[in-house]
Amino acid sequence: MIKHDVVVIGGGLAGMRAAVEAAERGADVAIVSKMHPVRSHSGAAQGGINAALGNTAEDTPANHAFDTAKGSDYLGDQDAIEAMCDDAPRQIIWLEHRGCIFSRLPDGRLAQRPFGGAGSPRTCYSADVTGLVILHTLWEQLERFNVKVYEEYFCTALCTEDGVGTGVVAYNMRNGQLELITAKATIFATGGCGRMYAKTTNGYASTADGLGIAFRGGLPIMDMEFVQFHPTSLKENGVLLSEAARGEGAHLLNSLGERFMFKYAPEKGELASRDVVSRAGWTEIMQGRGIDGCVLLDLRHLGREKILERLPQIRELALDATGKDAIDTPIPILPGMHYTMGGIETDKFGATRIPGIYAAGEAACVSVHGANRLGGNSLLETIVFGARSAKHACEYIKEIGDVRPSERTLKAEQERIDRWLSKNEGVRAPQIRAQMNKTMSENVFIFRNEKELTKAVDDLLEIRKTFDRDVYVMDKSKTFNTDLVHAMEVDFLIDAAMCVANGALARKESRGAQARTDYPERDDENWMLHTLAWRQDGQNPRLDYSRKVTITKWAPTVRSY
Amino acid sequence: MAQVKLDIFRYDEAVDAVPHRDTVEIDVPITMTVLDALETAKAEVDGSISFRRSCRSAICGSCSMNINGVTGLACKTPCKSVMNDDGVIQIDPMPNFQPMKDLVVHMDPFWDKYTRLKPYLQPADRDEDHELERRVSPADMKKLVDAANCVMCATCYALCPVVSVDPSFAGPAAIAYAYRFIEDVRDGKRKERLAQINEDYLWLCAHCYACSYCPKHVDPHDRIVDVKRATIQEGVMMDHPGPRHALVVNRTIKKTGMLAETEVILGTVGRFNFRAQLKVAPLGLRMAVKGKMPPPFLKPIPKADEVRTIFESLEVPT
Ligand SMILES: Cc1cc2nc3c(=O)[nH]c(=O)nc-3n(C[C@H](O)[C@H](O)[C@H](O)COP(=O)(O)OP(=O)(O)OC[C@H]3O[C@@H](n4cnc5c(N)ncnc54)[C@H](O)[C@@H]3O)c2cc1C
Ligand code: SF4
Ligand code: SF4
Ligand code: FES
Repeated sequence: MIKHDVVVIGGGLAGMRAAVEAAERGADVAIVSKMHPVRSHSGAAQGGINAALGNTAEDTPANHAFDTAKGSDYLGDQDAIEAMCDDAPRQIIWLEHRGCIFSRLPDGRLAQRPFGGAGSPRTCYSADVTGLVILHTLWEQLERFNVKVYEEYFCTALCTEDGVGTGVVAYNMRNGQLELITAKATIFATGGCGRMYAKTTNGYASTADGLGIAFRGGLPIMDMEFVQFHPTSLKENGVLLSEAARGEGAHLLNSLGERFMFKYAPEKGELASRDVVSRAGWTEIMQGRGIDGCVLLDLRHLGREKILERLPQIRELALDATGKDAIDTPIPILPGMHYTMGGIETDKFGATRIPGIYAAGEAACVSVHGANRLGGNSLLETIVFGARSAKHACEYIKEIGDVRPSERTLKAEQERIDRWLSKNEGVRAPQIRAQMNKTMSENVFIFRNEKELTKAVDDLLEIRKTFDRDVYVMDKSKTFNTDLVHAMEVDFLIDAAMCVANGALARKESRGAQARTDYPERDDENWMLHTLAWRQDGQNPRLDYSRKVTITKWAPTVRSY
Repeated sequence: MAQVKLDIFRYDEAVDAVPHRDTVEIDVPITMTVLDALETAKAEVDGSISFRRSCRSAICGSCSMNINGVTGLACKTPCKSVMNDDGVIQIDPMPNFQPMKDLVVHMDPFWDKYTRLKPYLQPADRDEDHELERRVSPADMKKLVDAANCVMCATCYALCPVVSVDPSFAGPAAIAYAYRFIEDVRDGKRKERLAQINEDYLWLCAHCYACSYCPKHVDPHDRIVDVKRATIQEGVMMDHPGPRHALVVNRTIKKTGMLAETEVILGTVGRFNFRAQLKVAPLGLRMAVKGKMPPPFLKPIPKADEVRTIFESLEVPT
């Protein structure tokens, strides 16, 4: 049996930042990750990370907090937002001091670029590979502190004894053994769940594992109906072309060659908040002003030199997928699933309702993003709340004695896996995933209504039942059995999708990323509430609205860009 | 749509004594990548086909494998660019690694090469002395950018012939990563790092350029040249054969316009290192017998001064 004081599930930015914080505090910490940390999807983040350094224009953490609260369509908890924005400059400097390769101003300070929904340029970056350079910096720190990484261990369940978190069960992909990993404190940093949808900017491994595990472990999942669709993803494969493109001055054009954004956001145009830009793009396409179901992202006027210096990856991704060179051709793009504002409910310290269980990063919902996340705020969230959750976990472990290993959870998990492996017929997970993808893409997209959402809820319940009854795994091997791992991922994804669809159907208003055509207005009177979803075996989740939004400084007002 | 026949290396280290091959036929859109094709084959035909992948956009470094015998990222390789007239694509695990299952290999030796580098910034001064960021000019940062694009996919490591004969060689990716710290003006361990990478057989690189085929344009070969140059500039480990070899080659060509083999061999092993000279003596004898031993004192070629000018114009001022 493996045993540590603090165990972090996930080796992305949130997980590694947490582990490094715990290591710096002298805790016995380990990371459990289904991939080598540098493979994590954080590495795909292109555009940048926000902090009010004020290096290129006057800026303050309070301005940053205001933009974030407004961007959240006033559903973000403002105490958490303020905590994040206050800490941001310190965290960026922390990364820089550890060698992060950020782009610079001529005087040697960190460069900052404008991003959507932000009052001043506050996004620090490294060309268009910001996630990758930060990921490497944190991995380097793991090496420095010799943090133990259980690499290619797939976490399947969380353990509790007497209402207290006692670690997790994980499947060692290299030899097929299920192992108990006992810990006084466990931090879930398992990333997003883009794979609920067919077309997403997320990689294959963004599969809601932490959400599903926490949900089954008795924790509520918060605000899942708020799914961010990014306005500029490639039609071919869903790959993202970062907001950095627009930050650097790219235009969005419709089939008439119009810069249509100014119709929807007269002041900010292309740099309005993401939900606004996605709805605008989709409206243009729906009203017949698209080209083959896309609008165009036009970089040509930026010129070859700027494109090659600041956006080289974006150019190459577009070239690889479409054969079009952004230097001389506009690139067809459309909105695609990008980010889940919702996640495992935590307080502003990253703690969940179960003592000893924490969550951070995209898997968590603090909530700092509310109904819509601003670009550059998610990397920031991973760093700030990765560190904060570890800090609190380290204090927590001082106060509790040894925890008991949960043999019964291990046994239950072994039975679940054996059941799938022993069957030789039924339905395989990829086929079930395809059904889920279909209903999510058709019925829980940018514009929503009661009829479609009801259909999605019904479909998903049916899909849940099919999975529970019929799923089987074809590969029986004990070595690197990704067929089994993918089945577990689909299991978790269905849970996440059910939270999204049920939350969206119940929320009878439009706010941020949730646009209901049958309830087009924001309803502050009745809906300044977070959605909490609790799992009920084989049924739709139970929804609870007992958590109110925390307002500190900024009362909701009309949101325009 | 096109029909693709994936001819896949199959192996499970826990049960198979030897590998075998399977052919899987699928219909895929013509724009699909090899990774998409594998994903489809796994989802629709045979769930046991195993490979690593995550980002499908050439940024996570998971999916390097041999495609028709050439190592590369499956997610960056369109099927149409590699299938033959019958639609066949051959897929094998990366060479220079121990296979684990199908296309999945044991990566540990590759990661160990990084660990040996102490791959983290060791600043020249204290963090506390900087309330804000350390100032670094855009030009100094730009030097690191190419190396920073590395996604640790190990394509270059798999392609490297020296790794295949001597696994103690650091390999192109790790040397490029070492460069990233060696050239970082914030780092305080330039000499120690150069010494370390020399210990890890920097000079074994045969400059074959195979690793220039890097999907992220890191061009590790060029970084290796940079690191070698820095080694000489800093005068690190100068009594080792590597730097000595480079310097003596340079010196004889500058002097005579020709490679003076005798001098190069003596210079490389060490002019006063008689024991080592004894070791290479049989080589000298064989060369003499075959009539390949150049005279000990070469007469410069007619326009040796022009050669010298070329050399000098390429020399980096120290
Ligand atoms: C293409 C793209 C571009 C983006 N660009 C930006 C940007 O410019 N700025 C910005 O602020 N945000 C951006 N985002 C969002 C941001 O990158 C992510 O929200 C953030 O990186 C998530 O980090 P994370 O650490 O929470 O999760 P991840 O980086 O996804 O890491 C998850 C980790 O958990 C592990 N894991 C998952 N499940 C399990 C399990 N069952 N068992 C064990 N381990 C598990 C994985 O191995 C991985 O190590 C972008 C997102 C995408 C998809
Ligand atoms: S240098 Fe290039 S080929 Fe080598 S590991 Fe890095 S990205 Fe891959
Ligand atoms: S150039 Fe050097 S490091 Fe690169 S593949 Fe050839 S021998 Fe290996
Ligand atoms: S899947 Fe990430 S590099 Fe190919």
